[in-house]
Amino acid sequence: MVAGQDKSLDTSHLYEGKTIRAAAPSRKKLAGKMSGAGSDIPKDAVPDVHIPTFVESLFGGPLIPKMKFLPADRMVQTLQLIGGGLMMLLAVLTYLVTPVDGTFWNWFAVWLGVDAMGQILHLLIVISALGAGFYGIFRRDARGLLVSYVLFILISLRFAASKVTFESGALDEVGEGWVKLLLVVYAVSLVMYIEVTNGIIRFSMLDTSIRTGEVYVMNVKKVLSRYHVALVVTPVIATLVALGTLMINVIIPWFFELFDPETAKRLSESVELTSVYGVALGTMLVFMVVATLFAANIPLRIQQWRESLD
Amino acid sequence: MAWSRKSAMFASLATALYLLGLVLRNPQLVTVAVVLLSFLTWAALRAAHADVAATGRRLDEDDQSEDAPTLASLSAMRKVSAARIFEDGEIQITLRLQNHSPLSKILEVKDTVPEVMRIKEGANYILMELGPRRETLIEYTIECPLRGFYTLGPVSIRVQDPFGLFHTEKEIHVYDDFLVFPKTEDLKEAFVKSRVPKIFTGAVNIRQPGEGSNFYNLREYVPGDSIRKMNWKAYARSGKMMVNEFERDAVSDIILIVDSRAVAETGPVSRNSLVYSTRAAASLAQYFLSRRDSVGLVIYGSDINSVDRDTGKKQLYVLLTKLAGAAASGNTPLQVVTNRIMPHINRGSPIIILSPLEGDLTLVNAVRDFRAREFDVTVLSPSSLEFEFDAKRLDRTGYEVLKTERDIMISELRGLGAFVMDWEPDMLLATALAGARGF
Repeated sequence: MVAGQDKSLDTSHLYEGKTIRAAAPSRKKLAGKMSGAGSDIPKDAVPDVHIPTFVESLFGGPLIPKMKFLPADRMVQTLQLIGGGLMMLLAVLTYLVTPVDGTFWNWFAVWLGVDAMGQILHLLIVISALGAGFYGIFRRDARGLLVSYVLFILISLRFAASKVTFESGALDEVGEGWVKLLLVVYAVSLVMYIEVTNGIIRFSMLDTSIRTGEVYVMNVKKVLSRYHVALVVTPVIATLVALGTLMINVIIPWFFELFDPETAKRLSESVELTSVYGVALGTMLVFMVVATLFAANIPLRIQQWRESLD
Repeated sequence: MAWSRKSAMFASLATALYLLGLVLRNPQLVTVAVVLLSFLTWAALRAAHADVAATGRRLDEDDQSEDAPTLASLSAMRKVSAARIFEDGEIQITLRLQNHSPLSKILEVKDTVPEVMRIKEGANYILMELGPRRETLIEYTIECPLRGFYTLGPVSIRVQDPFGLFHTEKEIHVYDDFLVFPKTEDLKEAFVKSRVPKIFTGAVNIRQPGEGSNFYNLREYVPGDSIRKMNWKAYARSGKMMVNEFERDAVSDIILIVDSRAVAETGPVSRNSLVYSTRAAASLAQYFLSRRDSVGLVIYGSDINSVDRDTGKKQLYVLLTKLAGAAASGNTPLQVVTNRIMPHINRGSPIIILSPLEGDLTLVNAVRDFRAREFDVTVLSPSSLEFEFDAKRLDRTGYEVLKTERDIMISELRGLGAFVMDWEPDMLLATALAGARGF
């Protein structure tokens, strides 16, 4: 204590000779004595803020990311049925267009000398993807869905010939055009499966938020119909773009036939164009057009034009 | 246009599959990648417009921005039911959204509400389809549990593609300020006595005999006393002619001193010394002003804010506004406050100090100075120890030690002639005031 302050604060005459400090006690001194259990921050001192986890933010709730859902409403149930159906279709297509040849597990089975094991493992992966998918869809668990996505993509990872062939697959006898179409349908159904199952989680979040009063939706039907329309339009467009890129070995010779039939003939017989590099060329051409659209700011200009219409 | 985490993952997956497909010469992978890319591109094309504009009192938008031509299509205006309310009061908010465009839009609208507010009815987060050249009203009610100055806004509007891959966000800078006053408690009696009369009659009884309504004393009859003042029972008892004397009713200056130092906010947000002090000061101000007294206010924390004494309803709102804005900061000692205000207040005026009585070595000296000049000092001390103990931030031993030291401090202040009340949470203000006066 400072000597100058002692005089005014000294209360010894009141307390039988003891010197009692008149100032408020120091909290700092007591802080060291506090037990761990007593140092919790009281509940009402911190606002309740939900920080979304990685999985929650990946599935991107449109409004409030929460993974504890109320029972599924009609929209979510419909999406669950569509998702389940798409997954079945995808499983069949996956089995058809991704033969076991060239996969790591087939190589491993051959190395072990048990050829049949490759096929069994292949089938097991498809079944596991189905199981995880069903769990994810009907329990509305994002982790199950993520496992299912990974397995469906994993099964496509194989070394193959550069030509689109399905030797030793179930499509040996089918024509190339049909095979390519099937391949596109497989790719589109995989992407739509990812999107629809993602929609199950997103709309569950939205529905829960609506029912708990955190969000209000005006004109629900119109908001949902936009999503339904997009679910139909987007795969059609994706199919067209994918077909455009895959059929580049047909489109380029057809284009050159207008100028030089000889060159067109040579191009149609080109191994490169029918290989995966032809697909790469097609992709490049298609997306060059898209890039030009964006570079010229066409979407914005179209929007401005539409906005200015009376 | 902003990417969501989902779209970023899609793009990364598509790129990885595409490159892997080329390396492994695997057409399946390349096809999946192409479909993913077209999916993303289509969504981007659909979401590549942000047609959101702002109209409001504080329009900070740069109209020359790149997407300015489409910014005029949406506007928002807000109407609030009250700009000033008391704690626990409710405000109805109406947000009017207008779509000036010939196109229908699906929007996510969020009106930003201060974090401490609770949505009582309706929602401030709306997902909707707004038709061409249409307008809509969004109504919701908020409950305001804590005093302070608050601002509503901005209005955030988001347009996104149906799959939630890309979105465009815009803030409409429409703001509305409102003020939440500390809630008041109706007091029937404040038990505060002044020694200083003023010219006009008022509610605070002056501790001098005179014309009034409250009994003060008995004295012997002297010629000239009104016969109506005769106390017949006392006459019968003593045999002497005795008359009743009454306290003078007069207007007095009441000075409220609120401690808003940083230490006053110790405890939970909604239950701490400052919250209780401001509520008590508001209740006392309302009580005294309703009785035509003159009330002044001093709030000290990092600096000293004072409101000069005055009467009337206008003064009440001036005081409430000051109390609403009291923020806990700084550590100005009470002695500094007393030194500054003492020359400006009438000697003997009642002074009510609202303080947790912590972390100020000058407290005793300051109260002693007041008492030496015959000020009637009442100290109401909301104990932050109770708040912290209730919130389990203090263990039992710590609480007991601090409590003992606090009791000693209070005893010392009482020894100086101040009326001190250790105000525990949830005790009514009227009870605390009565307790301070020993009733």
